[in-house]
Amino acid sequence: MASRAETPVYPVPWYQGRVASWVATVDHKRIGILYILTSLIFFLAGGILALLIRTQLIATNVDIFSRDTYNELFTMHGTTMVFLVVVPIFAGFANFFVPLMIGARDVAFPRLNALSYWLFLLGGVILYSSWFAQGGAAKAGWTAYPPLSAETVGNGQDLWIVGLHVLSLSSLAGAINFLATIHNMRTAGMTWMRLPLFVWTIEIYAALLVLVLPALSAGLTMLLLDRQGWTHFFLPGDGGDPLLYQHVFWFFGHPEVYVMILPAMGIISEVLPVFARKPIFGYKAVAFSTVAIGFYSLLVWAHHMFAVGLGWGLDIWFMVASMIIAVPTGVKIFNWLATTWRGNLIFETPMLFSLGFIAVFTIGGLSGIYVAAFPFDWQVHDTYFVVAHFHYVLFGGSVFGIFAALYYWWPKMFGRYLNDKLGKWHFWLTFIGFNLAFFPQHFLGLMGMPRRIYTYTDSSWEVYNLLSTLGSYVMGVGMLVFIANVIWARRRSPRAVNDPWLGDTLEWFTTSPPPPHNFDKVPYVTSSRPLRDLRRRLAGERV
Amino acid sequence: MPQPVAIATLLAASGLTPVKPESPNAERITDVFWFITFFVIVIFFVVAVPLAVFIVRYRNKGRPRHEEGPQIIGNTNLEIAWTAAPVIILVLIAGFTLYKLPGMSLEASNELEVQVVGRQFYWQYRYPNGAIAINKLVAPADRVVKLRITAPDYDVIHSYWVPALFGKMDAIPGRTNEVEFKGTRVGTYKGQCVEFCGLQHAAMKNEIQVIPAEQFDTWVSEQASAQASGQSDLGEQVFEGVCATCHGDQGQGFIGPALTSATVSSAQSVEQIIREGRNKMPPVGRDWSEEQAEALTGYLRQRFGQGSQAGG
Repeated sequence: MASRAETPVYPVPWYQGRVASWVATVDHKRIGILYILTSLIFFLAGGILALLIRTQLIATNVDIFSRDTYNELFTMHGTTMVFLVVVPIFAGFANFFVPLMIGARDVAFPRLNALSYWLFLLGGVILYSSWFAQGGAAKAGWTAYPPLSAETVGNGQDLWIVGLHVLSLSSLAGAINFLATIHNMRTAGMTWMRLPLFVWTIEIYAALLVLVLPALSAGLTMLLLDRQGWTHFFLPGDGGDPLLYQHVFWFFGHPEVYVMILPAMGIISEVLPVFARKPIFGYKAVAFSTVAIGFYSLLVWAHHMFAVGLGWGLDIWFMVASMIIAVPTGVKIFNWLATTWRGNLIFETPMLFSLGFIAVFTIGGLSGIYVAAFPFDWQVHDTYFVVAHFHYVLFGGSVFGIFAALYYWWPKMFGRYLNDKLGKWHFWLTFIGFNLAFFPQHFLGLMGMPRRIYTYTDSSWEVYNLLSTLGSYVMGVGMLVFIANVIWARRRSPRAVNDPWLGDTLEWFTTSPPPPHNFDKVPYVTSSRPLRDLRRRLAGERV
Repeated sequence: MPQPVAIATLLAASGLTPVKPESPNAERITDVFWFITFFVIVIFFVVAVPLAVFIVRYRNKGRPRHEEGPQIIGNTNLEIAWTAAPVIILVLIAGFTLYKLPGMSLEASNELEVQVVGRQFYWQYRYPNGAIAINKLVAPADRVVKLRITAPDYDVIHSYWVPALFGKMDAIPGRTNEVEFKGTRVGTYKGQCVEFCGLQHAAMKNEIQVIPAEQFDTWVSEQASAQASGQSDLGEQVFEGVCATCHGDQGQGFIGPALTSATVSSAQSVEQIIREGRNKMPPVGRDWSEEQAEALTGYLRQRFGQGSQAGG
């Protein structure tokens, strides 16, 4: 006979099981974690592809991979990093932190949110399944210019197109969700001028995705029909125009670059003030420069096409528009610098990656001036100079921002710290390896080395290529340290407190990790730094 | 005097500056490079020096985390200054670029117009008198050469570039682009295809040999007449520029199979393969003239056919 003290056993419904609860979840935090972990796995895959590429280029006439395989490597590396790493990992951070930072219970459409994650995973699986396709994976570069991409035999290119279609649906659903959330679900007192700067960048990230993804989808549909149907949108033999694809692709592709960098800038704008113990210098300038960058990014696409013979009229327009973008970007850099002025700078790992971001992103911005001046772009377009430029922006910018975010928000997401000592190893190996890998590539470009070549015979290119390859290995070791750090955080790390960094924004108000409903109550927001206000109020100071 | 020249050569050879220009338009591009580089170096230090100074000067030094810096939320004058300064610099850069632009298109009454066709995976040139060349273009010194660059409808996009002479220009199926140069110094200048074009993109190389103008006139008319009579080295050029890329320098086989007496014995089947392609092999000779196709098949038969020395 059962005694009253015995605990009754309720059956756990299937959707609360260890695995099923992650599959069936519509909670923005769990979906955010799924996004981030999936993106990190793809980051590992894309990084391995990069190391294979660099190994093939370590010296002249290396013959490790066949030409076809090499072409697959760089195509999949680029596609992975853009579509499966940087864009979705920001969707992951936005998922987890936008509702928390604006004091909301969840995103506006939780089930659409779950759909958008599962579409992302599906798109990634489709893309990676193409390695097993007849004829191997896509091998026409991540830009997939026709006629080459229209004529490639095998189904890798078709799977690439379908995969990108699914991924753009995923991003579109996510972007609509973020817009609806930011516009409608801000807590009491959170006006636009009190919105955390990371949320500002996600607003523009989402708006740009909504504006440009349809162009990509249209271009990919036309390409697929040219390949498998009977159309000839891009095939000149039947009256089509290969340049049409380039216009459509870059109308998407250049805003996409800002989709990949703006959230990183938002992260830096959150981390720097907290670790400098100061407010951001010029909140409005930083917020509005985000809007300005987003707007102008829609007007510059053909600076990727200076060598196609557009004519000087268009060349001049796209040069001027591209240079205009440098102005709001410069404003951000100077505002960040001024934020560190007279601060109490705490060099923990999130801060190191943020300061590293300023240093290397500035170089990426400066090399951007060279390629915007179109006559000089005729000289370096499609050479390693451009490869160096966009890695300074997308690795030195986006990926440094991503690591700053991971170290900054890890305790909030998982209730455990990443180790700061390992973090410093991770940072310095990455920072040194990165510059060693990509700075010499500027020189290779000036010497005339084209991108996307599987080997070279010119021995004067050898030294810089060797340095670049060694640098990539150093970065690879840095990434191993990061993996070790994640394992350490899981096994050894102490429990995280609610607000370890003495932050400014609302995510630090709740527990680490937050409960499913996020907040029991949310303080009324009277400035862009609600948590600092709260701390001061509790200490009896006047706010 | 030789000192600065030596330094400039060293800088260009080590990739710190663009390849030494040997044509007036390439020189103007290098001028743009130097103008931008000046400001880039200035801006870099304007950012990097304060960054380094602040990192050292305002480091934590054991202060507790809750100790805040001065709560400065901005400064309108400063922010206007660092918005206006980049605008001025960019206006200067854009202005200088536009000032240098007109001279990047060269015009002259005696210009030599050469047709350049990008193909998987070679460049074919056609001189005004009908002479054909593969990959290596011979050009007269001190005379404007206008390249009319294109690719056939059934091919893909390539990009033609010789760093020392001119900026790159894409060879796009269905379009013709123009770029000019004027070689100021006799010599051979190298380049290679810079728009990813498939399997052997990396092997698609080109060069321009600038020779004295008077030698050029003789050379080009000799080429034309030799090719018309079938006595030229066109077959060898085609083999080295088109076939060897995939079948090996000696026809020993590489990506494509080895060329043997059996494979080259039937002129008809060789011609069919080069005109239609086979397996991974693109139709390299789809629109070649009869003379060009015959030059190649003749050369192949002679080199690899039965009883030839190098055969097999």
